[in-house]
Amino acid sequence: MARPIKVVMAKLGLDIHWRGVYLVSQFLRDAGMDVVYIGNKFPEQIVEAAMQEDADIVGMSTLGGNHLTLGLKTVSLLEHAEMTGVKVFMGGVIPPKHIPQLLDGGVHKVYGPDTPMETIINGIKESISV
Amino acid sequence: MGREESKKDVCLFSQDQLDTIKSGYDDWFNNVLKDNDRQDELSGKYVTHSGIPIRMLHTPADIAGIDYAEDIGFPGCAPYVRGVYPNMYRGRPFTLRQLAGLGAPEDCNLRVKYLLGHGATGVNILFDLPTIRGYNSDDPEAEGNVGHCGAAVDSIWDIDAFFKDIDLGAISTSVVTHLPSTSIVIPGMYFAVAEQRGTPKDKIAGTCQNDFIMETCVGSGPEILPPPVSFRLQCDVVEYICENYPRFNPISYNGYNLREAGTDAVQEVAIAISNAIATAEELIGRGMDVDKFAPRMSFFWDLHNDFFEEIAKCRASRKVWYKIMHDRFGAKNPKSCLMRFHIQTAGVTLPATEPLNNVARSAIQGLAAVFGGCQSLHIDSFDEAYSAPTEEAALVSLRTQQIIQSETGVINTVDPLAGSYYVEYLTEQMINRIFDYIKQIEELGGLVKAVEDGWLHREIANYNLKYQKKIETGEMKIVGVNYFRAEEASTQEIEVFEYPETYTRQKAKLDRLRKERNRQKVDESLNVLRDKCHTDENLYPYTMEAVKNLVTLGEIEELFREEFGLWTFPLIS
Repeated sequence: MARPIKVVMAKLGLDIHWRGVYLVSQFLRDAGMDVVYIGNKFPEQIVEAAMQEDADIVGMSTLGGNHLTLGLKTVSLLEHAEMTGVKVFMGGVIPPKHIPQLLDGGVHKVYGPDTPMETIINGIKESISV
Repeated sequence: MGREESKKDVCLFSQDQLDTIKSGYDDWFNNVLKDNDRQDELSGKYVTHSGIPIRMLHTPADIAGIDYAEDIGFPGCAPYVRGVYPNMYRGRPFTLRQLAGLGAPEDCNLRVKYLLGHGATGVNILFDLPTIRGYNSDDPEAEGNVGHCGAAVDSIWDIDAFFKDIDLGAISTSVVTHLPSTSIVIPGMYFAVAEQRGTPKDKIAGTCQNDFIMETCVGSGPEILPPPVSFRLQCDVVEYICENYPRFNPISYNGYNLREAGTDAVQEVAIAISNAIATAEELIGRGMDVDKFAPRMSFFWDLHNDFFEEIAKCRASRKVWYKIMHDRFGAKNPKSCLMRFHIQTAGVTLPATEPLNNVARSAIQGLAAVFGGCQSLHIDSFDEAYSAPTEEAALVSLRTQQIIQSETGVINTVDPLAGSYYVEYLTEQMINRIFDYIKQIEELGGLVKAVEDGWLHREIANYNLKYQKKIETGEMKIVGVNYFRAEEASTQEIEVFEYPETYTRQKAKLDRLRKERNRQKVDESLNVLRDKCHTDENLYPYTMEAVKNLVTLGEIEELFREEFGLWTFPLIS
């Protein structure tokens, strides 16, 4: 049997709202993925954790407005570490007009408020099978 | 089906009447209701958000055990179910307290003046994440968050700028410092500014939040002080402010954010009151009289979707508080037993989809808050799921409050829903369930211990999973999101507040401050504070001294982290 999808989930930087990110972690776990919730972390620490855990997916949540700065920084640090196979997902409160910038910067998908869990689960599975 | 036999003698209704009502109910249930409706009622699927059974029809039989004088009473009188003041809103309408705080303090100053100019009578000042968690704007940890979601405050200069040309003796300010570790610093900056401007201490009105549950549980962060330390700072703040600022509430037990993080109405109130119990025990242990601090304690509730349960929660919480202060702590001053609370409508109920619908949701929640007898109210804005409110959205919220207050007539009589069989039944149920949950926490060794052990975090996580599953399956309906979803999702463009220049402005100010301040005084005040951390002394006088000497928020917080160490958030795998 193939190993389960390995996901590292983080709260980005100082953002304090852990409800959503922990919920997504629980739902991904229930969907059979191997999920590590690392709590509040900065880009360097997230990349470090992704490396150690041999992650397929990095999920970052922020409701604090740091998506364009710390979010994009995480993607470029992953590229720098030649971990381009790791798909980056973001969620939280992210203004729609910022989403194109995140996607152009290498974020695989951005899920805003009201996204059904199934959409996230399927989005991750699809990103792995491609 | 078994109806609960009343424990007491019949009080509100004569036995004859009650017998007639009970047999009338049975007749109605068996002969008037259709078979399907009877099955529906017997299914037990109708419960409030927190799980209290709801009957299809509530009758006097549900509240037959209530003794009006003892259990409900009169407003302004024990047990305060009907309200904390005798004439309630006729005498003192709820304060229209909207939030202000975005970007640099200079931007916020304009927002505060705007709100005061439109009839607001108090302001909430919110801070950006670095300020909330105690980092200076130019700290590497603050990167990406400066000026977002609230104001950046690094030093006493920022508080001065925030309130430029505003008389601190004429307004009531809620300084929303969630954490005890920042509540021991930022309100101190506010007091110090007032002192420099010559405003007398007894004119300073307001509140700070100062809740160790916020520091350790509700909000997560990269560096968290251990729960007992945060709790000690919380008590230091209460003690110091009670001794020095008679019109400033040193603590607002934050049920709100707890609820938003993930609890039901019972847990929200029970956990907040458990924290108040712990504080009372600590302060009494320090030699303080309960009547010295209890009158200054205030509470902060969420007003969620379940309209009647939320109203019942508000009414119930006042009685629980009265019982605890009066019966358990022996408070003599009636004010010690008055639970005053601020309400904010539930941000968590406001989706991003079709945002204008949120005006309706928030108005209904706001109305429930008024039926619940809140002392002040903040109505969330329709753009809640996008950013802190824009000026347009904030004005709609303020106007919603004014409409409830001035157009609907609901404030003309006290506690208008009293006597509703359903509301009184729910109120009694809430009271019992809140007491049960408080007892459960005490059996775990008290709230500080329950937090340290990760119990509360698990309670929150379990609740959220249950709640979210109801949304995913559609059992909990959210109009426009999982119910009556539009074919074409609304693409309404919501303007978002951004202050990209805040960082640069704060950085420049910090550079100037570091150049201009007296380094020797800075070091002295930091060294004294460092030593005092390891004594039983109250730290407030020493943080006050430090901020007057232009020590920054970040420097004080860093000192706390060094001296007290860090704690790992329990849910991290």
